[in-house]
Amino acid sequence: MPQVTLSVNGKSHTVEVEGRTLLVELLRERLRLTGTHVGCDTSQCGACVVHIDGESVKSCTILALQADGTQVTTIEGLAKPDGTLHPMQEAFREYHALQCGFCTPGMVMAAIDLVQKHPAGLSEKEIREGLEGNLCRCTGYHNIVKAIAAAQDVMHGRRSELARAEAAE
Amino acid sequence: MAAAPYHRPETLEAALALLQDGAAPPIILAGGTDLYPAQAAAEAWMCPAPARRVLDISALSGLDGIEDRGEHHRIGARVTWAALRDATHLPAAFDGLRAAARQVGGAQVQNRATVLGNLCNASPAADGVPPLLALGAEVELASAARGTRRLPLAAFILGNRRTALAPDELALAVLVPRHGPGARGGFLKLGARSHLVISIAMVAGVIEVAAGRVAAARLAAGACSAVAQRLLAAEAAIVGRAADPPALAAAILPRHLGPLSPIDDVRATAAYRREAALVLLRRLVAGLAAPDRARVAA
Ligand SMILES: Cc1cc2nc3c(=O)[nH]c(=O)nc-3n(C[C@H](O)[C@H](O)[C@H](O)COP(=O)(O)OP(=O)(O)OC[C@H]3O[C@@H](n4cnc5c(N)ncnc54)[C@H](O)[C@@H]3O)c2cc1C
Ligand code: FES
Ligand code: FES
Repeated sequence: MPQVTLSVNGKSHTVEVEGRTLLVELLRERLRLTGTHVGCDTSQCGACVVHIDGESVKSCTILALQADGTQVTTIEGLAKPDGTLHPMQEAFREYHALQCGFCTPGMVMAAIDLVQKHPAGLSEKEIREGLEGNLCRCTGYHNIVKAIAAAQDVMHGRRSELARAEAAE
Repeated sequence: MAAAPYHRPETLEAALALLQDGAAPPIILAGGTDLYPAQAAAEAWMCPAPARRVLDISALSGLDGIEDRGEHHRIGARVTWAALRDATHLPAAFDGLRAAARQVGGAQVQNRATVLGNLCNASPAADGVPPLLALGAEVELASAARGTRRLPLAAFILGNRRTALAPDELALAVLVPRHGPGARGGFLKLGARSHLVISIAMVAGVIEVAAGRVAAARLAAGACSAVAQRLLAAEAAIVGRAADPPALAAAILPRHLGPLSPIDDVRATAAYRREAALVLLRRLVAGLAAPDRARVAA
């Protein structure tokens, strides 16, 4: 069987996979990183979004072999080793941007890429457009958008800490 | 299912050699955003396609750029919708194609999906086809046995999911001829929501305005026939007229949409599609002729 060597959350792995194994299967079933979810079989829902070399992609739509030699980041790789959350994770908590939580890992990964690609900052409309690839059946998106708007200020160093949810109303 | 071998060559020669296996040519994989969902759907309906060897073109050199070659721009087979979306330096004639790029599937799909994959997949609702028809694009194909050839896009896409691609051929690039400096492109699509939907109808156009008149126009509509169509009668109806947006919109009549043959399906009725195409086309033409040069994108 062919082998794939890739770095996941900073740790190098070499795994034998079948040619048809999807990246999401490698992450969940072989590396037991089950934070990356599978919510559909049509590549539509975005629950499976991870970063490959810093760019958000749907891991259900990529063969594991295609990720050979890349750096993959999953939701498990965001928090610091001491448990400090990434500002985006912190914002999702503060702004109550999740209910059942199924879409959340993909939302957070998509949101981080979106914010990183827009250093000048995103409007509410741009955030909503940027999330078109991620479906949430619970929240109605409102608090997700607010969380991302708050997190971008911290990620771009415009605020040292997250604006409190109440103050953002 | 038996393990299907996977190839990821780095040279075109190696890729074309793999395609020469006439008995069982490998399936070409670009961004995979059409291939994987199709595979998953087949498995969900319990009729998985037989395992085929995979030829992944994502490591091929020389196919990843949008190059200005003077008489045309060359969009290589590895160019993603994201790359096209972000290519702000392209002339205004590309605005329609870039508007389509912004609306394909959402950011993650745009990061992987290629423009060429959209053409080779040949869906009647492929958003890349009307803008590239309006731009007068050609597709460049290559095989080990016969070298390269070029086909106008309209001759490349033959029908619903049918192209002129031979089993041993790889599509290398789409070539967009240079347009006049005043040329502006636009694209409008209608779907049940703004993204992640298959279009009910979409239209694209490239219009050149000179001395206050429409000097040239190329219009096309998609999702309203098995293959997206140029609308020659609609083009003829506006060329030579004063670039007055309301008058141009009014000049486009239902009978100008003759080549369209929309179907009834779960997304819309044929009559609704026809009406939607007319409304979108009028809006597009009016927008492209507007003096403020606002870019036309839904
Ligand atoms: C969630 C989602 C949303 C989508 N939204 C849209 C949308 O809004 N509009 C739209 O038009 N499409 C949409 N699509 C469909 C798809 O993303 C596009 O058609 C995309 O451009 C396909 O490119 P790809 O590189 O992923 O193709 P692949 O899936 O890799 O290939 C598609 C087909 O083309 C063949 N092929 C690819 N490259 C070549 C080549 N160089 N030479 C020969 N054959 C080749 C493959 O063998 C295959 O048959 C969507 C898909 C998903 C999953
Ligand atoms: S699992 Fe739904 S997009 Fe990947
Ligand atoms: S929180 Fe339940 S799907 Fe988004």
